[in-house]
Amino acid sequence: MALIVFDCVSKAYSGQTALHDFSLTVEPGQRVAILGPSGCGKTTVLRLLAGFIAPDAGTISIDGQVVAKNGKILQQPEQRHIGMVFQDLALWPHLTVAGNLEFGLKAQGISKSERIQRINGILQLVEMDTYLRTRPAQLSGGQQQRVALARALVLRPKALLMDEPLSNLDEELNQHLRGELLRLHAQLGFTLLYVTHDRAEAVEIGTCVVRMRQGSIERIVSTEELKSR
Amino acid sequence: MNTRRVTLCAALLVLLILGVAPIALMFARSLSVNGAFSLESYQHLLATGRSWQLLSNSLGLAMITAVICTLVGLPLGLLFAKTDLPLRRVFVLLFTLPLVIPPYIMAVSWSDTLAPHGLASSFFGPATTQKLSGLLFGSPGCVLVLASTFMPAVMLATMTFTRTINPRLEEAARLSARALRVLGGITIPLIWPGVLLAATLVFLLALGEFGVPTFLRYQVFAVESFTQFTASYNFGAATAAAVPLALLTFLLLGIEWFALREKIQPLRPASESDSNYHVSLRSYRVPLFALVSILCAIVVLTPVLSLLLQGGSTQSYLRAFRVVSDSLMRSIFLAAIGATALTALGFFTGYLIHTRGLSIWRAVDAGTVLLFALPGTVIGMGLITLWNRPATNFIYATPLIIVFGYLAQYTALTGRVTVAGLTLVPASMEEAAATVGANWMRRLGLIVLPLVKHALVAGWLIAYIFCLRDTGIAMLVYPPGYDTLPVRIFTLMANGAPSLIAAACMLMIAATVLPLLGVAALVRTQRRRRLWR
Amino acid sequence: MRKFKIPIVAVLVAAMIVLPGCSSKRAGVVVYASEDQVFSEPILRDFERDTGIPVKPVFDTEEAKSTGVMNRLLAEKNNPQADVYWANEPIRAEVLKQENVAAAYQSPGAEGIPAHFKDPQGYWTGFSARARVLLVNNSVAEKPKSITAYSDPAFSGKTVIANPLFGTTTTEIAALFILWGDEKAKTFLSDMKRNHVKISTSNGESADFVASGESALSLVDSDDGANRIKQGKPVEIIYPDQGDNESGCFIVPNAVVLIKDGPHPEAAKRLIDYLLSAETERKLAASDAAQIPLHEGVETPAIVRKIENIKTMQADYAAVARKMREIEPLLKQWAGL
Repeated sequence: MALIVFDCVSKAYSGQTALHDFSLTVEPGQRVAILGPSGCGKTTVLRLLAGFIAPDAGTISIDGQVVAKNGKILQQPEQRHIGMVFQDLALWPHLTVAGNLEFGLKAQGISKSERIQRINGILQLVEMDTYLRTRPAQLSGGQQQRVALARALVLRPKALLMDEPLSNLDEELNQHLRGELLRLHAQLGFTLLYVTHDRAEAVEIGTCVVRMRQGSIERIVSTEELKSR
Repeated sequence: MNTRRVTLCAALLVLLILGVAPIALMFARSLSVNGAFSLESYQHLLATGRSWQLLSNSLGLAMITAVICTLVGLPLGLLFAKTDLPLRRVFVLLFTLPLVIPPYIMAVSWSDTLAPHGLASSFFGPATTQKLSGLLFGSPGCVLVLASTFMPAVMLATMTFTRTINPRLEEAARLSARALRVLGGITIPLIWPGVLLAATLVFLLALGEFGVPTFLRYQVFAVESFTQFTASYNFGAATAAAVPLALLTFLLLGIEWFALREKIQPLRPASESDSNYHVSLRSYRVPLFALVSILCAIVVLTPVLSLLLQGGSTQSYLRAFRVVSDSLMRSIFLAAIGATALTALGFFTGYLIHTRGLSIWRAVDAGTVLLFALPGTVIGMGLITLWNRPATNFIYATPLIIVFGYLAQYTALTGRVTVAGLTLVPASMEEAAATVGANWMRRLGLIVLPLVKHALVAGWLIAYIFCLRDTGIAMLVYPPGYDTLPVRIFTLMANGAPSLIAAACMLMIAATVLPLLGVAALVRTQRRRRLWR
Repeated sequence: MRKFKIPIVAVLVAAMIVLPGCSSKRAGVVVYASEDQVFSEPILRDFERDTGIPVKPVFDTEEAKSTGVMNRLLAEKNNPQADVYWANEPIRAEVLKQENVAAAYQSPGAEGIPAHFKDPQGYWTGFSARARVLLVNNSVAEKPKSITAYSDPAFSGKTVIANPLFGTTTTEIAALFILWGDEKAKTFLSDMKRNHVKISTSNGESADFVASGESALSLVDSDDGANRIKQGKPVEIIYPDQGDNESGCFIVPNAVVLIKDGPHPEAAKRLIDYLLSAETERKLAASDAAQIPLHEGVETPAIVRKIENIKTMQADYAAVARKMREIEPLLKQWAGL
C-alpha cells in the first residue's frame, strides 16, 4: 500500500495558484526528489503533507488514512508522524542539542529512559554525540544540519520531508551531507521527500524525481532514466 | 570632522541640557541646606522607619502590578496574536484603551462606578457596591487601576515579539507536539526576555505613580515624598525622596543588561509571504471568547462606560467642549510637537545606543531610562531651576518649556523603539551604501530612515500618547493661560461638576484614540494598495 | 527650496510655540490661584471684561492639594512670572511673606476689612472667607455648641475630622495651639483619639459622612456644609463657640498677595483692588463657593451668615503659620501617619 497519496490537490494563496491538480503516490521507503524552479510549488507540497496548511481541493492520505480534504485538516501535524528538516533548519535557539531532540519525544509521551537511548543513538549516527549540551548558535552550518536531521529522525517518522536543506552550504559540505543522508536512509529505511532546485542533487538523492513547474507536475522520471541521459 | 560623531554628540548634548542638567541641579540642591553642604535631606529620609515602610509599600505595589500585568497580558497577547479568537482586533483596541488614559482618570472613573449611585450599584445593589468601594480605596484599588492601565504594555509587547518569531521554529515543534505545548515550550521561551522587558517598564511606571495612590489613599513612597515636599516647600527633600526611585531604576537596568539583553532574540521582520503560525481554538473558542469578553467588560468597559454616562447628554458634552476646547487643542498641538521632537531625538539616541556610536552609549541608555523613571515633579522643579532666568524667558515663559519637559522625561521610549527598529535592519544595508560612496547623512536619510520608518511611526504614536496624558511636568511649568487638558481636568476636579469632569475625560480619550485609529486605517489602506499591486 | 522645507517648517512651529509666551510679557496680568478654578475663573473673566486687561491664570490642582502653585511661586522667586497670588487661605500668603516673595501693597479695597484679616504691612489681604463650622446630622437631638464636642463621651465613635496634615484642619489646630497653649491643645487631641474620632481624607468627605449619618458631626468648612444643605441632605450648620467667654469660630479667608518684582505691577494692583471689592465678595457669596464677605453689609444668600453675625476667633495668622510647621511631627504621629 502506498504510504503517501496526493489526489488532485490544489492550493492557492491570495488568488495565486501554488498547486494545481497535483497527484502523487509515494511508496514506503522510497526516496522522492521534487525538483523545480523557485515558486513552482515544491515547498507547498511539503507544507500540505506536514499539515501546516489545508488543500483547497483534493485529498491527502498517509498510510491509508485521509489526513486532509477539500479545505479541511482532518489530522493535526503532531498526529501524522512526519519529520521535517526546514530550509533554515529552525533549530530552537534556547534549547541545547539534546533539548532540541528531547522536545518532541517528551511531547509524544516517550519514557525518560527511552528518550535518552534514542537521543544518544541518533546523535551517534549523525556523529554529533559529543554536542549534547551545546546550543545551536555554537555549531557550524554542517553540524546544525546534522542536528536538524537527527531531530526529525529521532521520532522515527513515517516520512521525512526535507526542504532544500543543503542549499546554504558550500559544495564540499553539501556533497558530504548528501552521502550522510543516503547512509542514514540505508540504515533506517525511512521514506524521503526531498525538495531541491538542483538537478544533480535531485538525481543523487532521489530514486525518482518529480519535476514541477507552475504548480503542476511536469514529469516523473526514475533516476536511472535520468542518469542514463 | 566625522559627521556621524558630531551629530551623535549634538544629540547627546541636547539630552544633557534638557534632561540631565535640570536633574543635576536638583541633586546638587538636595546636598545643600542653607547654602552649605549637608546630607540632612537624606538622613531625614532614611532615619524614619516610616520611609522604609512606604518604600516597601511602593515596591510591593509595583511588583504585584507587574506580576498581574504579565500573568494577564502574556496570555491575552498570545490569544490575540496567535489564535483564531473572534473579534481579536476589537479586543486589542479595547484593552489598549486604559493605557492611553492618564491613570488618575481611571481611578476617578472607578470611584464614580462604585459610588452609591454609580453604575455598579445598578447591577450589584448598594450594599455590595459599598463593600467594593471600600476595597477600591486602598492597595486592592491601586492594583486594579494600575494593572488595568499598564497591562496593555505587556500584551502589546507579547504580540509584537510573537509576530516576529520565525514561524518555522513553531512549525517544527508542531510536528511532534500539540499547540499548547508549542506555546509553552517554544513560543513563550523565545519571547520571554522581551515580555520581561515590558514587565520591567510596567514596574517602573507603577513605582513612580503617585496620582492613583493619592486619590485611592494608599500610602506609598512617591505620595508621601511628594506631599512632604509640597507641604514644607523643601525642594532638597523632594529630590532626596526621588533618589531611592533612581537607585531602583539602576538596579533594574543592571538586571536588564546582564540577564536579559543578550537573550532577546533579534526581531525579524514579519514578511507578508510568511504565513504566521496560528492556533485554532476549536472547542475552546466559545469559552475563551466569553472569558475575554467578561474581563474586557469589567476592566475596560465598566470604567469607560461610567465616565461616558457620567458625562451626561450631548448638550453636556457640547458644554464641556466649550469649557475645555482651548486646553484640548493646546494638548493635541503640544503632544504632536512633543512626539515629533521625541521621535527625532529618540532616533539619534537609539542609533547611538544600537550602533554603540559613542563609547558612553551605556550611560546614554541608562540616563534616558532614569529620566523616564523619575517623577515628573522632580523634572519639573529642575526645569524651573534651570530655565527660569530673564535670559531664557523666551523658553521658560512659553510652551517650549513643556516640550523640553517631554524631551527630558520620554526620550527613553522613542529611543528604545528606535533600537528595536534598527535591530531589524542588517548592518550590511548601511555598509552597502557606504561602499557605493554615500556619506553618512545620505546613508541615514536614504537607507536607514526608510527601513525603520515603521518603528518611527510606532515611536511617534507612543510618544504622542505619553505627551498627551502628561500631568506631572505640565502642572508645574505650563505658562500662565496655557494649561493642557489633563491639568485642566485636575483643576476642575476641585468642586467642578462631576458631569463636566467626566465629559472632559471622554474628550481626552477621544483626542488620544482618534489619531491612533487614523494611523491604523492609513496603514491598512497602504497594505491593501501594496497587495493590489 | 525643497531642501529648506524641513527647516522652514521647524522655524514656523518654533514660532508658534514661542510667540504665545512672548505676548504675555507685553500686556495683561498673570495670576496664580489656589482658589478652586470653578469659583475663581468667573471672577477673573469679569475683571477682564470690566477692565479690558487680559488675565493669564495658573490654577492649582486637586492632586497638589493646593500647594502646587505655591511651590511654583517659590521656585520662580528669582525671576517671578506671576503678578498676583490668590490664596484660598492666609497661611500660604504668610509663607510667601516670610520667604520674601510677596510685596507690600495697601489696596483701597482693603478698607472695611477687619484688621486681623490682613497683614499689618499689607503683604496680604484677606477676603471672602470660609468659617470652620460644625456640620451636624439632624438625627442628633441635642446639638453641640463647641468644638469640644469631639471629646464629649456622648459623641464617642460618632465624630470625624479631615486629615490634620492638610488644609484648613491643620490651620485650625495650629490656631488652637496658640489660643489654648500647647498642653491644653495636646490634651484635646488625645481626648479626640480616646473618643474614637474617625479621620477622613478631606472636609468634603467628612461632610459626606455626616450627611449619610455615618457620623454625627464634623468640623468642616462652611462651604462644604452649605453645599450639603443645598443638596437637601439632613444636616445643620452650627457656628461653634459663639458664647460670651468662648473663643469664637475660626475664620479662613482667601488672601491676595502682590508678587514682588512681578512683570505687570500696575495691572496687578488693579486686579487686587478688584478682588478685594465688595462686589467680588457678593459674587463669591452667591456662588457655590458660599464664602462669607469680610466687608460688612454685603448682600449674601440666606445660607451664608454675615461676618458681623459671627463671633470670630482672633487669630494671628502669622503666628499660626509658624505654629503649623512646629506641630507637623506631632500631627503626623497623632494621625498615625
